[in-house]
Amino acid sequence: MSTATPKRSGLFRKQHTFVGSTLTPVMLYMMFFTFIPMIWGIAITFFHYSPTRLGGFLGFGGENPFAGLANYADLFADNPNGQLFRLSLGNTLIFSLLYLPLNLIITVPLAVLIESINLKMKVVFRTIYFLPVVTSAVAVSLVWGVIYNPTFGLLNALLQRFGISGMAWLSDPSKFVLGIPVAMLCVLVAYLWSDMGYNLVIFIAGLQGIPDVYREAAVMDGANAWQRFWFVTLPLLQSTMTFVTVMTMLSSWQVFVIFYILTGKGGPSNLTRTLVLHIYETAFRYQEMGLAATVAVVLFIIIMITTLLQLRFMRKEWEY
Amino acid sequence: MATLQNSLPLTKPKANRKVNSGAIITRAVVYGILILGCLYTLVPFLWMILTSFKTATEMIKLPPTIFPEHFTVQSYKAIFTDPHVPLARFYTNSIIVSVAIVFMVLFTSSLAGFVFAKYRFWGKDFFFTMILATMMIPFQVLMIPAYLILVKLGLVDNLMGLIVPSATSAFGIFLMRQFVESIPSELIDAARIDGSSEFGIYARIVLPQMGAALATLGIFQFMGTWNDYLWPLIVITSTEKRTLPIMLSWYSSQHGARADLTMAASILVIIPVLITYFIFQRWVVRGIALTGFK
Repeated sequence: MSTATPKRSGLFRKQHTFVGSTLTPVMLYMMFFTFIPMIWGIAITFFHYSPTRLGGFLGFGGENPFAGLANYADLFADNPNGQLFRLSLGNTLIFSLLYLPLNLIITVPLAVLIESINLKMKVVFRTIYFLPVVTSAVAVSLVWGVIYNPTFGLLNALLQRFGISGMAWLSDPSKFVLGIPVAMLCVLVAYLWSDMGYNLVIFIAGLQGIPDVYREAAVMDGANAWQRFWFVTLPLLQSTMTFVTVMTMLSSWQVFVIFYILTGKGGPSNLTRTLVLHIYETAFRYQEMGLAATVAVVLFIIIMITTLLQLRFMRKEWEY
Repeated sequence: MATLQNSLPLTKPKANRKVNSGAIITRAVVYGILILGCLYTLVPFLWMILTSFKTATEMIKLPPTIFPEHFTVQSYKAIFTDPHVPLARFYTNSIIVSVAIVFMVLFTSSLAGFVFAKYRFWGKDFFFTMILATMMIPFQVLMIPAYLILVKLGLVDNLMGLIVPSATSAFGIFLMRQFVESIPSELIDAARIDGSSEFGIYARIVLPQMGAALATLGIFQFMGTWNDYLWPLIVITSTEKRTLPIMLSWYSSQHGARADLTMAASILVIIPVLITYFIFQRWVVRGIALTGFK
């Protein structure tokens, strides 16, 4: 780097002044909007806190009294707060545990197929599959709402043409498939639609990074296409796989818009109420910021533990 | 890319004639699956477009129609002429916020990325790790206290409240550092010997070489900001300060039963991003591949 620089102290001083004067404001700015909120966010979990009430310094104290661990105890309590939290946690868990395998089962084979066709068509398919990713999540929710609509929806219209009577996909709390609410399955289909292009592009890039020699060697050894996919491509894709698994899990814990708009704030009967929705409603609808921040901290801890576990189980001991 | 040309001949075993029909069937199956996937991707878009061209009376017709009986643009007209929907205002808000954030992020990221890539200083690794660590904190943890900070700064219900917290990007700094590292240090030293100031090196040597990187980051940031929903939902309360996604969800809550109107409004909101995507498609894909791959 700067080894080629003549070791004149004047030059070095100039460089250090430059580093200090550019990096300091940027770092301070970032800290101001990440670490300070982080600390503040943890601090208010120990208070009954609302910005609408008068308090002392930064709103602490006064009408926002110190609560100790009351907000945390509330999560386990047998009151509406605790019940709603545990319900939201369960729904989020169902959603993320179903979404990850669903996504991988579809995006990995699709990426392999796209990678196997000629370049021009590859670009066409990739462009199409990526379209929903750049589409506003609000628009995504609205169009799927129209598709699932019981009276003028596309899904019921198509089903009727085959003589099957439709149903209220998003608003009937009594319909379950294998114990999973139909509304949740509908959200999964819609969210997969909006999100799969992202992983697809990453997998295609990952496949292009695998040196040809391995597949050629497998062909020499007489492996068929399926064996090449299962025993060569898939294991060599592991670093991409780790990244995608971690990122998909991370983002599926944080999905908000589709649950807020498509199922109308977590309906029917809170069957699609997720943690982020619960945080939003508690903080900004009921103004209980202390409690909401507590749920946010719990969400953060869950996400951290999940990520660390995934990284641990998917560690690889080789390189190509 | 070369993978495919190289591997295709290899998959053809010796008995050429026998396999040919097999290869055609394989190819047909591959394209069949890919086209099926495209249908899944495209049908909602088509449904959006078709619905937006239907008449209000057709929307309540039973059984519902798939293709519009009379193509009409009356839903678009209704939105443009609705006095409660100052569409130009919403577009202006979205453009102001997106453009301001894109430029600030490009400036701060490229500058910090350059410093991290090409300078040696005390605590460099520590500071860089700190920046990366901020990427791990979920937005939901920060949003409540960040809102409280905005309250203290008096920026609630203000477009500045959307812009100010997003002026820097940890991801952007990370991406820019990667790019600047590939610029030869000799070039920088040469400029230094010629008497250029350090900021001059950044502005005249480094920036001009970062076109592709800046485009990638800029497009990402633009699409992310344009589509952002949760933060504007929290910060903005008055009608005339709404951005397009907020306007869209509000509009649909007003006209929920009129899918022709909500779909037309959706199309109006997503078109700028779709156009950007089609123009810069290559950069978008490259950017994702870069971040996702190793």
